[in-house]
Amino acid sequence: MAGHVPLSYGSRKTVKKAAEEPLFIRVFLTVVAFIFLFLFLVLPLAAIFIKAFEQGIHVYLAAITEPDALAAIKLTLLVVLLTVPVNALFGIAAAWAITKFDFKGKSLLTTIIDLPFAVSPVIAGLVFVLLFSTHGLFGDLLFANDIKIIFAIPGIVIATLFVTLPFVARELIPLMQSQGSSEEEASLTLGAGGWKTFWLVTLPNIKWGLLYGIILCNARTVGEFGAVSVVSGHIRGLTNTMPLHIEILYNEYQFSAAFAVASLMSILAIVTLIFKNMIEWKANQHG
Amino acid sequence: MSIHIKDVSKSFGSFNALSNITIDIPTGELVALLGPSGSGKTSLLRIIAGLEEADSGVILFGGEDMTRIRTTERKVGFVFQHYALFKHMTVFDNIAYGLRVRPKKERPSKKDIQEKVNELLSLVKLEALADRYPSQLSGGQRQRVALARALAVEPKVLLLDEPFGALDAKVRKDLRRWLRRLHDDFHITSIFVTHDQEEALDVADRIVVMNEGRIEQIGSPEEVYDHPNSPFVYDFLGNVNLFHGRLENGKLLNGQVELDAPGIDSAENRPAVAYVRPHDVMIERESTAKDAVQAKIVHIHVVGRTVHIELKTQGLEQFLEAELTKERYGELGLKVGEDVFVRPNQLKVFIPEDYSI
Repeated sequence: MAGHVPLSYGSRKTVKKAAEEPLFIRVFLTVVAFIFLFLFLVLPLAAIFIKAFEQGIHVYLAAITEPDALAAIKLTLLVVLLTVPVNALFGIAAAWAITKFDFKGKSLLTTIIDLPFAVSPVIAGLVFVLLFSTHGLFGDLLFANDIKIIFAIPGIVIATLFVTLPFVARELIPLMQSQGSSEEEASLTLGAGGWKTFWLVTLPNIKWGLLYGIILCNARTVGEFGAVSVVSGHIRGLTNTMPLHIEILYNEYQFSAAFAVASLMSILAIVTLIFKNMIEWKANQHG
Repeated sequence: MSIHIKDVSKSFGSFNALSNITIDIPTGELVALLGPSGSGKTSLLRIIAGLEEADSGVILFGGEDMTRIRTTERKVGFVFQHYALFKHMTVFDNIAYGLRVRPKKERPSKKDIQEKVNELLSLVKLEALADRYPSQLSGGQRQRVALARALAVEPKVLLLDEPFGALDAKVRKDLRRWLRRLHDDFHITSIFVTHDQEEALDVADRIVVMNEGRIEQIGSPEEVYDHPNSPFVYDFLGNVNLFHGRLENGKLLNGQVELDAPGIDSAENRPAVAYVRPHDVMIERESTAKDAVQAKIVHIHVVGRTVHIELKTQGLEQFLEAELTKERYGELGLKVGEDVFVRPNQLKVFIPEDYSI
């Protein structure tokens, strides 16, 4: 047809999105982000490993197999084993109560869950010293029954529990709120009781959020310093967790040893990150 | 199984969701709870299912008191508005759920469950999609899975909460016809909640019209549509024209017009309102009776086989809506701006409650 104007010339302009920035701005922003990440994350992380292996692999192995270091690693793992399951259970119970039921004191419970985020870990530790030390509120009672909490493992576990309390609950509450209770109600009308409904309907629906919360909780449990430092008493081989052990080594100018243990924690952190990303990816696939 | 709802009341704080609801539903009936949102229809359905507890009143299934029986024991099939399918389970597992969660003694064998689920899959015509997840299905397919899942436990009572509310018009019509046929085959006593009057009129044996937690009218679709007992029901079930006027000698006086007010003789000289459905508004070229009103045609919309005509009455400046068949419209040869005579063919007069002490 004469005078026909090919539409493709005109339509080429529409390919470009209105919100798209010019190339140099995109490159500039990306470069800034990468430089920042490199300076503040990659470089320090690399420094840890460089420092850790500075005096050779033998010093490194000696530093992480020395009895006090092993005791610190074991204690940290013990705290994780005790804290994470308890907080996972608490998180599920609290999220369940807050999202599925109406009751008095609901907003109070929501606020209390957030409290550990708001309070400095050092203060959290001090609170437990005030409660459980020999001069504390329950001091006489504990002394009479020969129970040691402060400067002992129970104190460390309690302080860690407090600090990591919100992680699972905070992850689950918005998730369960958005899911509502209609699937649970459907399960009830089909004859499944509360327990079966929880295992067969609720838990599968929240499993990725739950795992994500557990991983965050785990990372914080391993790395918690402030609150644990206050209640532990820094008794070598007995009440030192990994972060406390690193601090002691560092203060004694044993830099290579300090960085060796730190590198272990860093590996743990990286593994956690990888897990976290895998779970996010999985969750997105299912969501 | 028959359902008897006796004197059920429920309030949420100071809001009365339901007040003194009494309905008797014989075995095998399909009943629609029809009302605007906030009329309490969903609360009533949830109370029947045991998902909500009534403040007072009794629910009986076949004469057996269910008021204190838990949801899990009531053996009701419940279809939720947004399907509430188990997202992490396939269509097959969703339908099998109710059978698999039974206590060991009552649980059918794996083979029996398989057979039962396949039977239901063919009933809802989803055999090919047994291994799909709910997120891979269309709205209509999800609703059919929800129905099959509810039917799997062989409920004595089927409760459906706005079952077609989230579907598009075409699918909705197909599904509700299909539901009607299903009901005719199985004869499960069924109650469904809807705010769509057309749906209720189309599917139900009986309609319970609800408003603000009370029952306005119970009756067959014909009864509630042709003989509404209140202005609310008139208004809610279809479009309506209002003629405001005063009652005198059994007639409603409205400007120059006199309308017969059947069934109202005692109330003299009172303000009253006549309700006339658009398809009961007759349009004529010549004035044939003294209840004919002169009016001017303002708009003409042709929607499929029906023609909607908007008119403005002379003198009163009141807008009216009339519905004609295309044939009648052609016969009259109406045009916008023309003057015609309108006459209500059937009307019902209500005296506003505020005035009737």
